[in-house]
Amino acid sequence: MLSVKRKQFLIFIVPSLLVLAVTVLYPLVYSFIMSFTSSSLKVRGFGDFVGLDNYIKAFKDAYFIKSGWTTGLFTVIVVTLEFVFGLSVALMLNRIKRGKKLFFTIIIVPMLITPVAVGLIWRLLLHPDLGIVNYLLGVVGLEGQAWLGDAKLAMMTVVLIDIWHQVPFMILLLLAGLVSLPGEPYEAATIDGASRLQTFWNVTLPLMKETIIVAVLFRVITAIKTYDLIYVLTKGGPGTTTEVISYHIYKQAYTFLNTGYSSAMSYLLLLVIMLLSVVFVRLGRGKAQAR
Amino acid sequence: MTAKRSERLLDSLTYIALTVCALIFLLPILWIVRTSFTTKAIAYQIPPKWFITPTLDNYRDIFTDNPFGKYFMNSMVVSLVSTVIAVFLGAMAAYWIARRVKGGNFLRIAILGTQMLPPIVMVIPIFMMIKKLNLLDSWVALIATYLSFSLPYMIWLLMGFFEAIPKDLDEACEIDGCTKMQAFTKVVLPLAAPGIMAAGILSFLMAWNEFLFALVLTGTGARTLPVAIANMETQQGVMIAQLCAATVIIILPVVVLSLFIQKYLVNGMTMGSVK
Repeated sequence: MLSVKRKQFLIFIVPSLLVLAVTVLYPLVYSFIMSFTSSSLKVRGFGDFVGLDNYIKAFKDAYFIKSGWTTGLFTVIVVTLEFVFGLSVALMLNRIKRGKKLFFTIIIVPMLITPVAVGLIWRLLLHPDLGIVNYLLGVVGLEGQAWLGDAKLAMMTVVLIDIWHQVPFMILLLLAGLVSLPGEPYEAATIDGASRLQTFWNVTLPLMKETIIVAVLFRVITAIKTYDLIYVLTKGGPGTTTEVISYHIYKQAYTFLNTGYSSAMSYLLLLVIMLLSVVFVRLGRGKAQAR
Repeated sequence: MTAKRSERLLDSLTYIALTVCALIFLLPILWIVRTSFTTKAIAYQIPPKWFITPTLDNYRDIFTDNPFGKYFMNSMVVSLVSTVIAVFLGAMAAYWIARRVKGGNFLRIAILGTQMLPPIVMVIPIFMMIKKLNLLDSWVALIATYLSFSLPYMIWLLMGFFEAIPKDLDEACEIDGCTKMQAFTKVVLPLAAPGIMAAGILSFLMAWNEFLFALVLTGTGARTLPVAIANMETQQGVMIAQLCAATVIIILPVVVLSLFIQKYLVNGMTMGSVK
């Protein structure tokens, strides 16, 4: 039934589909099958079919559950703080007229740096004996800390470093949303005599709803996937205090060689990410209708 | 009168707050740059020496003691080649999807879905595939792997750009007797050039900064810069000054690139995320 023209047109899409089939679909299916087997890097091939054993094991595995909680906590704290901080900076940037470009140029730099380099930069700065941070604290009379070595502080330190790295992204997205807001609602608010805070709550926030949902969703998904930063900063330690889920799965696969079990855990992670995305999309729609 | 004054006060506060922010983002990087130009002894000194005579020794060392030149080359080749392939294939696929609503919707969702895949899900099966093909520690393995995220990303970004170009333009060309391919290369591509440029740079950044796949799939042969600097630390204890020089090398191209193409970069990122 295909006309010649439509057949010719297929040349546009077929190469990409082939590449994606090999590089995305095949690995996904492969790992899905693997998640039902006792596959291990120690033995050749897939290993034995074990049904849902890997999944059941995951739910009974205290370390896996704990890494899940760690990831959840990390994600919630990081995204909340980044949102508050990011929105404040975006509002400030939107307000000023002179120097906007200069500030913007500086502020987006951390976002462009590879997480590995971000981790190394901060490890050097926060080094207990040789780092500049503890030295400067000493100058003002505060005691230096083992920022990444202390079980009580490590998580907070990782969170702060992640904020330094990722908040520029939040600023960028929210500022783009602010810039494209229409002017009329603000004029109306001024005529009605609304205060600055009232205008923010009743005009800016509702108009920004979609941008905010997209920005938060994007950061939630990337925060759940966090891996590189942890690898460089703490390797999950001290103990397992900063062991996020991606790092835990990596360890299972490459230290303990349990590829079958790792695949099952990574599919559970994927499932959580997909559910979250659906929730956010629903949230976006529901609010839009209510308006 | 008072309104005006409070307005002005708020302005000053805004500038102060923004300056503080900018310093928080900038100073850590500047400190690393400074340390990369110190001698090894000075790099360890606490309290730090504020005025130093810059030296290029560390930069010379990392390129002679370490095969850093090779790693730089690996990063460059892998990032560039994967980007060129992704732009080339992605542009065509995006055009197809943008011009065909029917049947395109499933593809749209599937392509957005790939952006949510955690790399950890992909890395295990890809490692096993590449091992089976005997391609571990090769450029080809990394380039193919990077396509798994850069190609869908490229398609997703460019779909938006192509949809913004009126259909009438390429249809007019086809009525004048050109093929789909000609309409695409002669009419649509030139119009979308800025968008393609932005998307290409973003894809390059992603590949340049990628760590997990490179860590798992390479040994010493095809190792890229992020893996190389992560390893430097464990291999030689804390060689502060050299590590700083290596860090500067890895972030310099990215920052320079971003200065030249800031406008495109912002367009690309907001397009991809907000749409």
